[in-house]
Amino acid sequence: MKIVFTPDWFLNNDVLIEVVSFMVLFLFFIFAIKSYRLSRKKPILYLGIGFLLIAVGELSTLLTKIVLYYDTTVTREIGQAVITYSIVKTVDFFYYLGFFFNRLFTLFGFYFIYKIPAEKKFTGDSLLVSYLLLITAFLSGSIYYLYHLTVLAILVLIIRHNYLNYEEKKLANTKILLVSFILLAISRIFFFFSSIEGFYVLAQSLQLVSYITLFFLIVKILKNGKEKK
Amino acid sequence: MEIVHDILKIIQEKGGEIKKTHLMYKANLSHNQMKTYLKELMSNELLEDKFSNKKHTIGITKKGRNFSVRYAQVREFESTFGL
Repeated sequence: MKIVFTPDWFLNNDVLIEVVSFMVLFLFFIFAIKSYRLSRKKPILYLGIGFLLIAVGELSTLLTKIVLYYDTTVTREIGQAVITYSIVKTVDFFYYLGFFFNRLFTLFGFYFIYKIPAEKKFTGDSLLVSYLLLITAFLSGSIYYLYHLTVLAILVLIIRHNYLNYEEKKLANTKILLVSFILLAISRIFFFFSSIEGFYVLAQSLQLVSYITLFFLIVKILKNGKEKK
Repeated sequence: MEIVHDILKIIQEKGGEIKKTHLMYKANLSHNQMKTYLKELMSNELLEDKFSNKKHTIGITKKGRNFSVRYAQVREFESTFGL
């Protein structure tokens, strides 16, 4: 089974996109925490945790890919007979674990972002959903599109919430947020076809555009705040 | 928190300082309410007493201005996400 779908010529860009994604998500987390310290509103804190979880997911895949792409020690040792088997097994397990945590944290992060504004408290249903997300993250190791499909489903719910919010208040910021989540959702559709070279690159590029849009949004929020006071 | 932000905003709109009676009128607060808020804001160094030509006014501090900006950003963030 293929571990990553990145074409050789896209390897460095791939890592760069993960770095940008991580930084934007972490920025949202920092801003949410600072906002929480001022307003003491729990939904802001949970939203921040949601962004942090996705950021940790990105970090997890980033570190795994760095080892996978740039660690040549393992490749050199593969030729050696008896030890080779255990090394390969360990490396396989490391990659599996890295990508597993990426899926797990990303799924829970998006679920947090969906859940917090939609309902103000966690119920027994959340436990069931958490269990299903855990199963999804686990099974997606062999059925890769299951993960992207689940993220897409949660993103559709997030988009619906933001659309209703936009319809009610007609805020430019919510429109930007809506666009970035729509781009993220489209990127997930392209990820379904990751086995086809161009689609993986397209999906990653769309994800980058989506996170840059989110970065633009946070800059706009900070700027507007200064102007409004 | 909303009232605190309103008080700071009113003072800023008046150029950074305001008479107590004007503030009370503009913020739509009773005398007792205003006394409580002013005490709280002054103890947190967001506002300060100002005396010039025997005139007593309430002035906003640098910390108060920063607080006002941060609060406006938080409000913007909340409304963006519909929180």
